[in-house]
Amino acid sequence: MATSLIRKQKRTNALIWGWTAFVLVIVYLPILCGALASFNKSRYFGFPIKTFSTDWWDKTLASFEIGMIVKTSILIALVVTVLSVVIATFGALAFARYDWTGRRLYQKLIILPIFFPQPVLGLALLLGFNAVGIQTSWMTAAFAHLVWIVPVVTLVIAIQVYGFDPALEEAAYDLGCSRIQVFREVTLPLLWPGIWSGMLFAFLLSWSNFPLSLYTAGADSTIPKWLYAKMVAGYTPMVPALGTMATLGAAVLLLGGGLVGLLARRRRPA
Amino acid sequence: MLQTMTAPAAEAQPRPILQLVGVRKTFGRFAAVESIDLDVREGEFLTIVGPSGSGKTTLLRMLAGMDTPSEGYITLRGELINDMPANRRPTCLVFQSLALFPHKSVGENITFPLKVKGVSAAARKARALELMKVVRLPPDYFDKNVMKCSGGERQRVALARAFAYDPQVLFFDEPLSALDYKLKKALEKELKDLHRETGKTFIYITHSLEEAMVMSDRIGVMRAGRLVQVGTPEEIYGAPVDRFVSEFVGEVNTIKVKRDGEEWRGVDVDGRFTLRPPADGAALGEAFVVVRPEYMRFLKEGDTADNRLTGTVYNEYSLGSRIQYQIRVGEKVMLVELSRARALPPGSDPVVTIGWDAADAFTLAG
Amino acid sequence: MADLAHTETQPRALAHAPEGMDGVRHARRLSVGARCALPVAVLLGLGFLAPLVAILAYSFATPRSFDVFRSFTLANFATLFDPSNTVWVSFVWSCGFALFTVALLAVIAYPIAYGLNMVFGRYAGFVSVLFVFPLFVSENVRLYGWVLFFIKNGVLDGTLKWLGLPGGPEVLYTPGITLFGMLYTYLPFMLFPMTLGLALVPRDLVDAARDLGAGRLFIWREIELPLAMPGILIGMLLTFVLAIGATAEAKILGGQSVIVISHDIEIAFTYSQNWPLGSALAVVVTAFIGVLILYVLSRLDLDRMLGRR
Repeated sequence: MATSLIRKQKRTNALIWGWTAFVLVIVYLPILCGALASFNKSRYFGFPIKTFSTDWWDKTLASFEIGMIVKTSILIALVVTVLSVVIATFGALAFARYDWTGRRLYQKLIILPIFFPQPVLGLALLLGFNAVGIQTSWMTAAFAHLVWIVPVVTLVIAIQVYGFDPALEEAAYDLGCSRIQVFREVTLPLLWPGIWSGMLFAFLLSWSNFPLSLYTAGADSTIPKWLYAKMVAGYTPMVPALGTMATLGAAVLLLGGGLVGLLARRRRPA
Repeated sequence: MLQTMTAPAAEAQPRPILQLVGVRKTFGRFAAVESIDLDVREGEFLTIVGPSGSGKTTLLRMLAGMDTPSEGYITLRGELINDMPANRRPTCLVFQSLALFPHKSVGENITFPLKVKGVSAAARKARALELMKVVRLPPDYFDKNVMKCSGGERQRVALARAFAYDPQVLFFDEPLSALDYKLKKALEKELKDLHRETGKTFIYITHSLEEAMVMSDRIGVMRAGRLVQVGTPEEIYGAPVDRFVSEFVGEVNTIKVKRDGEEWRGVDVDGRFTLRPPADGAALGEAFVVVRPEYMRFLKEGDTADNRLTGTVYNEYSLGSRIQYQIRVGEKVMLVELSRARALPPGSDPVVTIGWDAADAFTLAG
Repeated sequence: MADLAHTETQPRALAHAPEGMDGVRHARRLSVGARCALPVAVLLGLGFLAPLVAILAYSFATPRSFDVFRSFTLANFATLFDPSNTVWVSFVWSCGFALFTVALLAVIAYPIAYGLNMVFGRYAGFVSVLFVFPLFVSENVRLYGWVLFFIKNGVLDGTLKWLGLPGGPEVLYTPGITLFGMLYTYLPFMLFPMTLGLALVPRDLVDAARDLGAGRLFIWREIELPLAMPGILIGMLLTFVLAIGATAEAKILGGQSVIVISHDIEIAFTYSQNWPLGSALAVVVTAFIGVLILYVLSRLDLDRMLGRR
């Protein structure tokens, strides 16, 4: 009887593993399809692929237009990363560390942009820029990204802040540190893992953002925006090629970022 | 009312309700519990004490059915229950965290096991009110949010919930450890009363020997996964089997001694000592003399004692009604504890002679 | 005896200290917390609230004009609620998609969230990363991958034909594939709050319920589900709202077989150049979403969800 119960538990666990694996296959299937398509020699996509080649990768890499777009994407992502991490670190302290009147309201307001459909937010921003007479460009796109990404990064860092004992800051004060010293010597190093994940999130979410860039980048284009324009206009193998490159870039960054985070934790005294 | 059983009679051999034979639990290569044999008597209050990490919680989880032993047998009234899952065992655990369901009221918490059994709502409520009376909770608490209850009240809710299951054995995993001292003392006595009133078998684990002493019929001392000694509180206190138990049970003075012909000579202090022979009668070459501070006394000119040492008082602590002195004897520090009435008069000579009788000390193997 | 005296004196000596310190701390925190919140507040004030105000203002402007703040008319709203206007069809489609997305994702994600908490053990972190990563690939790239998969002579069709079978079904450019796209895109938004919610169920409570005789289904219904509800609710709310506002799935996979509400807003802004009408529509959608969000959030304790004790 008891062993049958254990066997039942094991079977449930196997089913859960199986289901998760199945969903993961589905999650990665289209990304794989894109990668396959990008290595097709033919101008038109057909499966099974007759001749593999890296022609479209070469063409994509050589394109001046795509070079510009990649540069714009990186520029926006970098600006967004730096600004959002600074703003969100303080935002997370206000979210999770301090008790202040209005905190509850602030907590709810800050997550509203996450809960807001991005296409509508993008259009609203476009309208807002227009109303005050700001020409849309990569800078307005970066601002739009910030509106959505700062709340996300705030939550990411807030989770780290929750696990942080305020008594440590008080002890540092007590030992004679100024407020700035406390922040530099105690708060920042302890929050660093959260800030680091926040930076990765900020960069990668900006890098992959489509709906906000679509409406707020004006004449400038980012990778997702350019890809969408080409998708609508008709098939070119440069779409899956650039899409796969962007995916690979994100994967490399995530892996590298994760590795750096891991190494930094290792280097800490045990 | 509660299923009442006859209180543990002083008959020669009451039938064990729960029996452990060679129970062992390993996690990977680490053995949390090493080969435990134990008979739990029907209706007794047994406490397992031990420092944190001694394996007592693992032992309890195996008894409650939340872990299965890697080796050995656990039987309940003669039935092997090694692999019987917790929800089929007629036993119930009161968790350290109490594990009260925060989304349910006091009443819903208490009636939970009855709901599981499919008892009707009216019967559940009637039973819950009975149990609330037993654990001294006012009846209007039935609909109260359990998270709004105080620490002591939550304790009672957890107890009532466990009783509602009508278990044959109740387990307690240090449920009092988070409470303040006064409340803890009161609840210890209440728990003891409840034990007597209900006649159920209680198995309680704690790291606090004080708690164990107050409540238990028998105490088992655990160390590094083993049960080192099982006995009545008096046995544990008065005749510990080794230094670990003796030190765990309270503060002690320990002197290492070596056989020197017919006599014993101190190794870490100068002097010759008269010893009570060790409990197991073994012939020892080296031994430890263990004396509790309250059996030490100051010797004046002409006082007699089997053993004596001379040292310097360098500290005294007030323990309320009692005073403890720290006395440096050579490199060693000895403790003497007296009632306040017998304290050293102020301004007396710090050089003192302390002594004890062989009958008040015990001898442990070296 | 010894312990008695010690423990009794200690709390008394310390009793007043924490109270006094608390008062000081509170006064200081008040200003520091607000100051820390300031940059975020300014950003969201300019980047979130101001555009919403702009939209609101535009929605009262003369139709097909750009004289915001200079005219006031309810004509745009009248147009929207005019029975001859078919915009409600888009709204119903969007709501329908959103509801199905929420219901199906709850079922799809629950076993995975459970696994992340109870089954995967030390692999849980790795599995989570695998589910997070697609968020860093823009949704149009991923959806386009599905086009390549389902298209005629695509991966599915081509493979089936190669195997000598009649070829894949024609699912592209239908409402069904749009729903599939939404399930696909919003899975992480259901999965992670749900995982967080399930992590809030203390193991002790499940053990205690089992110890009191409860079976697995009973425990799930009485303990796990109610206690994980805050997380599940957040996941449902998030996916519902994002699915209501989704356009990419309908455009890329659905091939505009169905026009969703956000697409209607976009059309008003772009092709028909009727900003006031688009704004009015956006205001209606925003109000709908806003009420829903604020209602659900008002019932949740974020501190408890994210780990403050």
